[in-house]
Amino acid sequence: MGLKAIARKNAIHAMLVYTGGCNGCDIEVVNAIFSPRYDIEQYRVLITWNPREADVLIVTGCVTWQMVEPLKKLYSLIPDPKGVVAVGACAINGNVYKNMVGDIGVNEEVFAPVDNIIPVDVKVPGCAPRPEDIIMGAVKAVPKLMEAP
Amino acid sequence: MMERKVVEKEISIGPVHPALIEPYRIRLFVNDEIVEDCEININMAYRGIERLLEGLPVEKALLITERVCGICSNVHTWNSVRVVEAGLRIEVPDRANYIRVLINEIQRIASHLIFFGHAFEVLGHETFAMRSFLLREVFMDLMAYIGGNRVMPAVPVIGGIRPRADLTDSLKRVISERINDFEKKYREYVERILADSMIMSRLTGVGLLSKEDAIKYHATGPNGRASGWNYDIRTLMHEYEPFDFEVIVLNEGDNKARVVQRALEVFECLKIIRQILKNLPEGPIVNRDWIPGKMNYTISYFEAFRGELMHSCALDSQGLIRGYKIRTPTPTNLAAMERACVGDHITDAILTIASCDPCLTCCTRVEVINFDESKTMTVMDIMKKYGRR
Repeated sequence: MGLKAIARKNAIHAMLVYTGGCNGCDIEVVNAIFSPRYDIEQYRVLITWNPREADVLIVTGCVTWQMVEPLKKLYSLIPDPKGVVAVGACAINGNVYKNMVGDIGVNEEVFAPVDNIIPVDVKVPGCAPRPEDIIMGAVKAVPKLMEAP
Repeated sequence: MMERKVVEKEISIGPVHPALIEPYRIRLFVNDEIVEDCEININMAYRGIERLLEGLPVEKALLITERVCGICSNVHTWNSVRVVEAGLRIEVPDRANYIRVLINEIQRIASHLIFFGHAFEVLGHETFAMRSFLLREVFMDLMAYIGGNRVMPAVPVIGGIRPRADLTDSLKRVISERINDFEKKYREYVERILADSMIMSRLTGVGLLSKEDAIKYHATGPNGRASGWNYDIRTLMHEYEPFDFEVIVLNEGDNKARVVQRALEVFECLKIIRQILKNLPEGPIVNRDWIPGKMNYTISYFEAFRGELMHSCALDSQGLIRGYKIRTPTPTNLAAMERACVGDHITDAILTIASCDPCLTCCTRVEVINFDESKTMTVMDIMKKYGRR
């Protein structure tokens, strides 16, 4: 392990972006990172709200049309190397908002898989996923950061 | 003496910002660091839920109504079930009603504890925020034991509850043990908040909302009750008739009153849960003897954790949903929040908004008002003027 990798491993900053959806995953992510019971900070993953400081971007929610441009902008602001974790069924396939429609057929408000907008490295399924799974997902994004040149 | 020059400035916060968990935008019009006016824009999370529900079978609609909001998921499921039960006159067994109330009160406590976490994080006291998230885990576990999921327990179905959510004797014992343990810790927690002079000086006398304003802007729920307005739909609902509880009403109307009101309401919720565990009747849990058919437009009002909630819909002859409408408590509470911010220092504005407990995912909808002609625009007018979006 080079010096760079050690330095990166010791301070991984995660940023949370909430792009629509129902708030459930959002609170579970805050629970996983912030609350004393799960406490992702013991693996030296810290939460930040500044994209220039972040290494891992955690995206929750089906992407509504107002959040498409802010999401692209936030992704471009994060310095390389960077990892993206899509948390929740909404971020992976659009959940009920995209797949369970009545008469209208196609829901044009939702730009659902986050894959369509920015590249995703790790996907955490569930509605809402358990905090244990979210911690697992955030830790799985770490090797990509460390192996980067 | 030189006359002081006054410069009015606008400060815009959001939609992605550390102080706001949900995406919304606050515009504060500031004059000499005193907030003159406040405007909250909420339409970042519009998903078109009411339109999605059009033409779905009623049983499937429960999956979408549960995902209106992730904090108060049980409220929306139960209320959409109540609309259909009232319209088609479906009898619900007593045992099912008791368990519905149980899961609702468990989620109400979890929601109030999120409020403490958010409010104290905004206030800058992380110890209390973390402590409240730790206390909340008791109720997330109980929801997982009863419903199978921490966030979306999905307990009510039309005519009763899901068979999985039936209470066994061992589960009852677990619930009563956890609740006794929680109450001891929670009492200490509340006493420490009230004894902390730093927090109290930050909260007292800030963000005043008078009783007249609360009634004028229709600030229902804990915000109205903290301003001295005795209004709780739980006292009118037949599901809550067997239980003995008090409606907490405080008269101050400031941030401290809103925090203390919710803190005291948790004890009433615990009282209701104890009564359920003591008097739970035996019998069937679900009534399957009904068929979906033609239903006239029916409205159901409900006391959600943040105020008054309205669901309404009609069914056509095949049992498909037509014209679903949801009105959540936050749109009316938003106007009260904007009013409560005015006149205080700018550092207290976010705290005042957080102390009103906004839940913005469930309240986003189209609402364009044309002030020049003083009439509300219809959908066709909006499409003509602004296009599809």
